[in-house]
Amino acid sequence: MGLNRHMDTIAVIGVGSTPYARDLQSSHLALGLEAAVNAIRDAGIDKQQVDGICGSGMTPLAQGGAGFLSLQGSLGIDRVTWGLNSWLGSAFVHGAGAVAAGLCDTMLVVQTYQREISMSRSAAADPYRQKLQQFIEVGSDIGGGDFAKRWLHSGEPYAAWMRRYMHDYGVNKDAFAYMAMNNRSHGSRNPAAAMQVPITLDDYHNSRMIWEPMQMLDMDVPVDCAEAHIITTAERARDLDVKPVYIHAMSLGGTRIGEFYENSLGWTENSHWAAAQGLWDRSEIRLPDVDVFYPYDGYTIDAVGCVEAVGYCQPGECGEFLKSSWDDAGNILKLNGKTQVTTHGGGLALGRAGGANFYSEAVRQLRGNEGARQVEGAKTALINIGSFFHDPSAVMLRAD
Amino acid sequence: MPGNYGPLDDAHVFELYPDIQLSRDNIEHYRGLAQGRLLINRCHDCHHWIYPHRPMCPECWSWNVKPEEISGQGHIFMFTLLYQLRDPKSMIHEPVPVAAVELMEQKGLRYLSRIVDCAPEDITHDMPVRLTWLEEGDHLWPAFAPMPGSTG
Ligand SMILES: [Zn+2]
Repeated sequence: MGLNRHMDTIAVIGVGSTPYARDLQSSHLALGLEAAVNAIRDAGIDKQQVDGICGSGMTPLAQGGAGFLSLQGSLGIDRVTWGLNSWLGSAFVHGAGAVAAGLCDTMLVVQTYQREISMSRSAAADPYRQKLQQFIEVGSDIGGGDFAKRWLHSGEPYAAWMRRYMHDYGVNKDAFAYMAMNNRSHGSRNPAAAMQVPITLDDYHNSRMIWEPMQMLDMDVPVDCAEAHIITTAERARDLDVKPVYIHAMSLGGTRIGEFYENSLGWTENSHWAAAQGLWDRSEIRLPDVDVFYPYDGYTIDAVGCVEAVGYCQPGECGEFLKSSWDDAGNILKLNGKTQVTTHGGGLALGRAGGANFYSEAVRQLRGNEGARQVEGAKTALINIGSFFHDPSAVMLRAD
Repeated sequence: MPGNYGPLDDAHVFELYPDIQLSRDNIEHYRGLAQGRLLINRCHDCHHWIYPHRPMCPECWSWNVKPEEISGQGHIFMFTLLYQLRDPKSMIHEPVPVAAVELMEQKGLRYLSRIVDCAPEDITHDMPVRLTWLEEGDHLWPAFAPMPGSTG
């Protein structure tokens, strides 16, 4: 078993989601509670069985957020033996890792997202969202006047990397365009998705320029939403009335980039490559065995990076690879003629959830009850979520 | 007139940069900016340049780290043109360039900067640039401009 001491011994037994919409007139906490209650009910457990909580965000004692303290108090969970906040790809892995380490038995992971004031004019005019931003920014000097600190926790370096990628490999924007079209096609088949209309190659190229060369259709859709997951031991899962989805292998990742993102190392040295290597060092399921693939799409370049990092093609070849994987009949990607990608529409279509909805969709597909959207025979799912710079995950899930 | 200060005490630096999280690790950098000098930390044992402002050398773990003025020469490693700012209410009339300038002192040593004296459409990867200064109110801020004869 080598590095992986927990192969298939931990399982996801509950999934809960909120609706996805531009304005649910809700708070982070209310969204988180709705998803949490849905996940606990989905698992069919009593809430007092939850003894570990991974909340949402990076500030442990945040007021008004969906942090672990607020969640525990609000849900009325009497005692836990583990609590932490986290986000992006890491949250799920932190939660699963605590179960694997025996620090708790039944983990609740909650991730909430809201459309922020920087994301649209109507959001900027909403007094509740203004207040939210005022307190999110406490303790940080991002945007505090020194231009040199502009890329701390910024999306702009992704746009710069997009351009550098095209320059270094002598390629056009095909890789990004095919990923965007795929996710929007899947979104058009997902009734929950914020974006219901598929896009063409022309729509992609004609969309508004935001940070050249990144365009509007390269960016996930800001919405209000939350996702929650219940994770426990495979042993406990077998006593429940749900079909467990096993965590076969998982990895986090990081490189020495640090917090000033202009110091990025090379394209093949961002955090997704570190996480992917960590996964392949731990997984007995290999890439050709993957039935459904979930590369994070905060920006299309995230997803392109994930495709290359896990090894579907060589660095710089994603455009050609995706073009050759395009299934005209379904208007979607089928990697190597087989593996479907981001079957729920991801952040680009369902909506921006920091990747949390990729885990939810993967679990639902492996349970086999996605109805019209079910990928036939889906037994294994590969999920890669996170930033180029921090909190990436690589997770292999499998069904019996 | 910014940039003409003599020695600046800490209190004066705090006063000049109220929005910056000043610490003992970065104050010399900002003292330098106030005086029109771009200072980057350097290890005085192995000569490695260290950025952002960190107190220990990541290569040799020496604490003998001191800020040093850089030559001001470099090239554009990567860049984007902003058509929309973080505040959706603010209008941009022409795109704003943001560039990671790789300083000639060391491979991978990059400083994020504005690019001036160059039309946005003329900016290219690997273009040689040199340091210049922008005067804004009480502050001098670094910017980079194309080396003479290097555009296009
Ligand atoms: Zn050193």
